[in-house]
Amino acid sequence: MGLVARVVEETGIPTVTVSTGRDITALVRPPRSLFVNFPMGNTFGRVGDTARQTEILRAALDFAVTAEEPGVLVDLPLEWDEPFVYFAGEATPEAIARQLKK
Amino acid sequence: MEPIRYVDALNEKYGAMGFPPYKWSENPTAPWTHMTKPLPECTVAMLVSGGISHCATMPFDPDARNDHRVDAIDPSVPSDEYQIHDSYYDHTDADLDLNCLLPIDRLRELAEAGEIGAVAKRHWSGFMGRTYNRSRVIGESAPAFADALHADGVDLLIAIPA
Repeated sequence: MGLVARVVEETGIPTVTVSTGRDITALVRPPRSLFVNFPMGNTFGRVGDTARQTEILRAALDFAVTAEEPGVLVDLPLEWDEPFVYFAGEATPEAIARQLKK
Repeated sequence: MEPIRYVDALNEKYGAMGFPPYKWSENPTAPWTHMTKPLPECTVAMLVSGGISHCATMPFDPDARNDHRVDAIDPSVPSDEYQIHDSYYDHTDADLDLNCLLPIDRLRELAEAGEIGAVAKRHWSGFMGRTYNRSRVIGESAPAFADALHADGVDLLIAIPA
């Protein structure tokens, strides 16, 4: 995804990446990245929490305007309200066999 | 809370399945295009990589590798008419409320309030994870995608990896 943002930016359209994977984004280095320390899949928050969804979307839009340095990565100062861990997905033998076939 | 170390976690997961370590792209610099318009004049599009497709179309392969499929998302279609198929992340919440991951209703509201100029005529879903042939992304899929953004007069793209 970061690679796609880089290509789009090169063609003359500004991009802002809203990421939940800080280490990956830091490596790939899209032009402007806003890191949200929420679980992957909940970039804009929880079900029905329209205020938080709008807040993060607005932060991304504002960041597109204020960012000045190519490759900049900023941490949005928000905390998820409970601890969360890496989501390993389906780990059943069938699921692993299915993935290995790819 | 410290951010999750996805690079380590993913290498551990796929290493246990017998895959070689995934070599993430590592870029020391980044390209740059200046914003030339204020937000109230910008047409804004979003791109998400989380296996989201309209219920009337074929679902994404949840275990896809090297899937270069990119679907247009019609911003006028209600957000509950989409399905998510991707084993890469937990989309329990996004299944119930797409705006948790792709805030199409929230962006429309900001356009109606005049905070942005307009929602682009198309949002986008594609470029799923586990893409090993990245030269094809850089050389073919992403440039074709950028052409579509230019055709729609997009001034700003919000990219949402999942």
